[in-house]
Amino acid sequence: MENLEYLKSLLDIHPELQYEIIEQYWTTDFLRFYHSQTNYNISKETTTLSATIYKGKKSFNFMLDNATSEKLDNAVHNALAIIDKLPEDPYFVDLENDKTLAKPREVKNNIEAIPLKLKTEILSRIAQAVAPHNFDIFGSFVCNYQKYRLINSNGLDKTSENSPYYLEVKAVHNKSQVTVIEAFGGEDFQYFREQNFIEHLLQKIGYCFNDIVDIEPGTYDVILAPRCLGEFAQYLTYGMHARSLDQHSSFFEGKLNQKVFPEWISICDDPDDPEIIHKDYGSNGHIYRYLSLVDNGIFRNFMCDNYYSHKTGLPKNGNTGSCLKIEAGDKTLDEMIGSVKHGLFISSLHYMNFINPKETSITGLTRDGTFLIENGKITKVVNNLRFTEKVARIFEHIQALENRSHPVPFSGNYEIFDIETVKSPHALVRDFNISSSTKTI
Amino acid sequence: MEQIIKQTIQKLSLPEITFADVRITRTDNEGIFFQNGFLRGYSTNLDSIALGIRVLINGCWGFAGTRDLSNASIDKAIHTAISNAHFGSLFQKTKVEFPPLSPVQAEYEHHPEQDPFKMAKEEKIDYLQRLAEAIKPQEKIVHSIIYAAFMRQEKYYANSEGTYAHYTFYNTLPMMSVLASDGAQVQSRTWPGHMGAGRAGFEIFHKHKFEENTERIIKEATDLLSAPTIEEDKADIIIGSGHLALQLHESVGHATEADRIFGMEISYAGKTFIKPEMIGSFQYASPVVNIFSDSTDPRGMGYHPVDDEGVPGKKVDIIKNGILVNQQTSRQIAPLLGLEPSSNMRASYGDDFPLVRMTNFCLAPGKGTLDELIQDTEHGYLLDFTKTWSIDDNRNNFQFTTEIGYKIENGKIVGIVKEPTYFGITKEFWNSCDRVCGPEEWDYQSTFNCGKGEPGQSMQLSHGVAPARFRNINVRVKI
Repeated sequence: MENLEYLKSLLDIHPELQYEIIEQYWTTDFLRFYHSQTNYNISKETTTLSATIYKGKKSFNFMLDNATSEKLDNAVHNALAIIDKLPEDPYFVDLENDKTLAKPREVKNNIEAIPLKLKTEILSRIAQAVAPHNFDIFGSFVCNYQKYRLINSNGLDKTSENSPYYLEVKAVHNKSQVTVIEAFGGEDFQYFREQNFIEHLLQKIGYCFNDIVDIEPGTYDVILAPRCLGEFAQYLTYGMHARSLDQHSSFFEGKLNQKVFPEWISICDDPDDPEIIHKDYGSNGHIYRYLSLVDNGIFRNFMCDNYYSHKTGLPKNGNTGSCLKIEAGDKTLDEMIGSVKHGLFISSLHYMNFINPKETSITGLTRDGTFLIENGKITKVVNNLRFTEKVARIFEHIQALENRSHPVPFSGNYEIFDIETVKSPHALVRDFNISSSTKTI
Repeated sequence: MEQIIKQTIQKLSLPEITFADVRITRTDNEGIFFQNGFLRGYSTNLDSIALGIRVLINGCWGFAGTRDLSNASIDKAIHTAISNAHFGSLFQKTKVEFPPLSPVQAEYEHHPEQDPFKMAKEEKIDYLQRLAEAIKPQEKIVHSIIYAAFMRQEKYYANSEGTYAHYTFYNTLPMMSVLASDGAQVQSRTWPGHMGAGRAGFEIFHKHKFEENTERIIKEATDLLSAPTIEEDKADIIIGSGHLALQLHESVGHATEADRIFGMEISYAGKTFIKPEMIGSFQYASPVVNIFSDSTDPRGMGYHPVDDEGVPGKKVDIIKNGILVNQQTSRQIAPLLGLEPSSNMRASYGDDFPLVRMTNFCLAPGKGTLDELIQDTEHGYLLDFTKTWSIDDNRNNFQFTTEIGYKIENGKIVGIVKEPTYFGITKEFWNSCDRVCGPEEWDYQSTFNCGKGEPGQSMQLSHGVAPARFRNINVRVKI
């Protein structure tokens, strides 16, 4: 962190400046596998120093990889040369001033705790377990370690580290290509139960030997697996950001403290749940704390950073929706499947995009196991399907939620590869709009 | 850098290593972002250096990347790449076969007309601020954005076969967008659309006539608020170049990346409906459709003298008179299909693992102008400017929404429709193409944001296209 201190010293001699500096170290060990064998192993590491300098309402940002004092001298010189000539942002008021520090916690570096040899051994056992059923495994087994320090001219000085791991296995039948998925992720590898993981995968494989059918477009009662409901919740939160509200693109505009969903729907952002990958700080270093988003169907809070708090007048919280949790309901999964006369079980989603974010209209596809439910039982494999829906309507149409929530890891695959968890139960949704079939598995 | 990369390759001449290559990139990035007429962000990331080492040992790949080019860091990366290959080979059934290639030496330097990194920052800001001022919130316009991203990358490549390449290029992404609202709904228009980037410097703003189009997008976004939607189930559609580039990208480009045939991308990007036995006989499209991959054309962002595993740039027919004849391949995959490597292995930065990627992936021009094509259309819609895109795991079922549709009656545009949405199955759709416009309409459309691989890489690539017409397409989607 010497570079950060050096940069701070360069900026502190200009009392007219405000600044935020972030230094981040990130490293990953990334094993990618296909057809029950290694595709490639990647190890990468980066150290990045980012600074945003403010002079009044004018600002300039620079980022440096592997900064040196010479590079920092140049960067500051260039920033000071231009900043007076830039136009102002009249909505900038002040930098973050929340100095609350996160509770210290012990972070184990999972790159060291789960070495490559152990990963290949685990994968070999999973591959052996599915092989008798003529399935191969595809996927990735990732460990990250990252730490960062953020300081600003308002006196914030915060450090944080985490080390998530993520195992995603898709089992693919070598002939039919029918696919099922099992994933596990978190921070403490002790929670990973290899035998449970394999049993869940084998249970899903058991559904794959039924006939493969197509279905007609129309509305269906569907059971959404936790990763599907979790992903829909991630899209729903687009409109829960103050930024979306400011940009006139929020479904929740004018709906604060109003009933938006059935009373059995509660969604929160909860970094303290032990099964969710923890986050110490949110936007601009604000402490990351529990935030109720939807409470018994009532929309409670926008997620709001320092800038948009000043601009919109909403209270700031620094939450970013990185620790989403959908509260469990009161039904078992078997009860929920048993209540469906003619419907679908959807395991995973693919390639979703908003059509109109304000209306939450969206299109996307199913993948990794779509099954027909007839008279309360999973009976057939269904080709992957396209849905065109409104995310808000999906939540409005939730009829029942499973009595337990499952942590589902998601990878953020752009910029730095990040891993987050969403905790979600299975959900029974009525009248889910299937708009076409892909006619393929 | 040349010395560092050659020294590194030298260190990798070990008996256990079947093949090794090293990439170094030195990259400058700059982004300028105006929102509602005000500068929200001006950011730079200059002189970012990245190095990646890939080794093939015992038939298994190992890779390590770093952004620290000290000797100690490079030695650590060498050790890690070798170790990764050794441990990876513990979980392996089939060894990677990697046929040798003759060494190549290559140099190339691209010179933009207006180097964005040499221009005064004030000059860029002044120009963009004028645009931002022109489209700032007014009447029904409630939100607006001006965005510019400039990239300069110098790339060094060397491999254990003696290949060495060094080249430099500039890519620029220009964008403006407005959002109109009537209180109940919002509609947006962008310019020049999501494929408006290019192998160019600041001159691309002038090429795309930004100043001349500010009023147009304001008017169209506003008019869309009261525009009808398409009511019929099926219609003939003409797809403009900006959106056709994405249609080509998603339903042919990604579908013909051969790593997908072998399941190498199942875990993230997906598979393809193409099977090896289809190559040479599959009627992918109508006979008027010719599609090729061309990394030899320096006008596109997919140009390279040598790809990221030492294959010289190539122009390869992918679809010839509607028939699937080839794939985008790597040196590992091509022999599995009985093909020659197509020079499609690319890594976004030096510390990224190379993957099969599109380069300049193009629809060959046909004949005639867009005006002539419209005049030749009795009833239909001209669709352009992508709003939403989605395609399935096998690249078979797609659905797109564009920002705007122009209704055509008896060869004339008679009005607009909002959020026109169409969907289809890849083979049926491309076989419904009955006309592609000619060379006078053909140009490169480019993107900064093609995502693939894990850890993810965002690739910059181009599509040469001219507007084309597709008959009897599904245009009604119930939401």
